Amino acid sequence: MKMKNFKKNFLLLIFFVSFLFLIVYPVFSLFINLDFLGIKKTFSDIYFWLSFKNTIIAALLAALLGLILAIGFGYCYLFYRDTIIYKLSNLMNDLPIAIPHTVAGLALLVAFGRKNFGFIGETGLAFTILAVILAMFFVSYPLAARSIASALDKIDKEIIDVARTLGDSPLKVYFRIVLPNLKEALFSAIVLAFSRSLSEFAAVVMFGGNLPGKTQVLASYVFTKVEEGELEMAITASVFCIILSFSIVTLLSLRKKDA
Amino acid sequence: MLRIENLKKFFGKNVILNKVNLKVNPSEIKVIMGLNGSGKSTFLKIIAGLIQPDEGQIFINDKDITKLDPEDRNIGYVPQHPALFPHLTVKENIYYSLKNKRGSKKLADQLVKMLDLEPYLEKKTDILSGGYKSRVSLARALVSQPEVILLDEPLSDLDLAIKEKLLEKFKEVLKFLNIPVIYVTHDPVEAQIIGDTFSVLIKGKIKEINSIEEAHQLMRKDL
Repeated sequence: MKMKNFKKNFLLLIFFVSFLFLIVYPVFSLFINLDFLGIKKTFSDIYFWLSFKNTIIAALLAALLGLILAIGFGYCYLFYRDTIIYKLSNLMNDLPIAIPHTVAGLALLVAFGRKNFGFIGETGLAFTILAVILAMFFVSYPLAARSIASALDKIDKEIIDVARTLGDSPLKVYFRIVLPNLKEALFSAIVLAFSRSLSEFAAVVMFGGNLPGKTQVLASYVFTKVEEGELEMAITASVFCIILSFSIVTLLSLRKKDA
Repeated sequence: MLRIENLKKFFGKNVILNKVNLKVNPSEIKVIMGLNGSGKSTFLKIIAGLIQPDEGQIFINDKDITKLDPEDRNIGYVPQHPALFPHLTVKENIYYSLKNKRGSKKLADQLVKMLDLEPYLEKKTDILSGGYKSRVSLARALVSQPEVILLDEPLSDLDLAIKEKLLEKFKEVLKFLNIPVIYVTHDPVEAQIIGDTFSVLIKGKIKEINSIEEAHQLMRKDL
C-alpha cells in the first residue's frame, strides 16, 4: 500500500515539475523580465496600438466569419452526412490544422494574391487587412466547426424528429430548434476562433505581410521588435498578448461553469 | 385510414421488417407489442418518414405517402421520451405546429383544457413532472391535426399508478380526434387499457392477435 502511494505521488510530482518547468516557467519568465522602460516605450509606440487594433478587429471578423461557416457546416453535419459535399468539407476542415501555417499563408497568397498565377489571379487582396482576416479565418475556422459538431453529437435527436413531423423542414429545424439549444457551443466556437486568430503569426505574415500600422498584428509586432533588438518592447507586447488571451480563456471557463 | 403494404427494412444484413402489412381504421387504437429490439420504433419512424423503407408502401386515405418527407406527411409522432423543446415554454411547445400553419388554435385550446395543462402554459418544460411532460408531448403532436398519430411507448418513464391514470386521459383525447392511432408498448397492462386491437411484431412480421395473453405466448416463444 505504501509502495502504491509512493508511486502515485512520484508520478504526480513528475507531472507537476514538468508542467511547471515547460509551461509555466517560460510564460512567467516574460513577466519577470518586464521593465518599466520597456513598458513606457511600448505603450507610447503608435504602431503597438495600431497592431493591437488590427489584431482585435481582424480576429473578431475572422471569428465571426468562421462562426457563420461553421453554422453552415453544422447543418450539413446534421442532415447531409451521407453526401460527397459534406465528406469533402469534413476532410478539408482538418487540413488548416495539419499543414504548416506558412504553407497555409502561401496557399492564400497564391490563390488570392497579386500575382497572376493564382486561382483567381489579380485580386489585390494580398498585404491588406482583408488578407489578415482571411489568414486568421483559414486557421481558426476548423476549431469553430469542430466545436459545433461535437455539440451536435450531444443534442437529443428526438427533438429534431418531432419538429420534422410538426411541419419543419431541415432548415427550419436547424434555426428554430437546434441552434437555440447550442448557445454554449456557439459561444465556445466564436471564442476559440477568436483566440486562435489572435495568436496566428505565420499565415498572417505570409499573406497579409507585416506592414506597421497597416497589416501588422500583435504577433508580428513582437517578431519585429525582436528582429530590431528591442527585446524589452517585445516582452511588453508579449505580456500584453498573454493577458489578453488569458482573459479570453478565463471568460470561456467561467461561462462553462455557469452553464 | 392508414394502410401499410409489404414494408421491408434491412439494417445491413439484418431483416428488421419483412413484408409487413397493416391496416388501422379511423378512431381505432392499434397496440403493437414486441420485445426490445424487435423493430417497433423503427416501424413507427418509417411510417413517420424519419427512416426510409427498403421496399413497400404506406397509404393514408389511399394516398401514397411513402416518398414524402416527414414534414409533408401530416403524421403526429410522440416519442418514448417526451422530447420537448427545452428552450420553449409549455405553450410554445404545444402551439409549435401553428407556426407551420398546421392545426388550429381552437383545437390547441381544447386539448390544453382536456389535458389539464392550463396552469403550466407559461412555464419552462424542465420544471414539469414526467406525467405532465408526456401530456405536453401528446398535445403538441395532436394540435397539428395529424391524419395519423404514432405513439412510441410514451409513458414508459412513468410509475404504474400515474401511468394508469394518464392512460384513461390519453384514450379520451385520442378518441376525440377520430384518427387512426398506433400505440407501441411492451407493457401488457398499458396495452389492455388503451388498445382496441392488438398486434405483435416478431421476427420482422406483424401478427394480428385477439388477446394480450396471445401476445405473451408469441413473445415467449420468440425468446
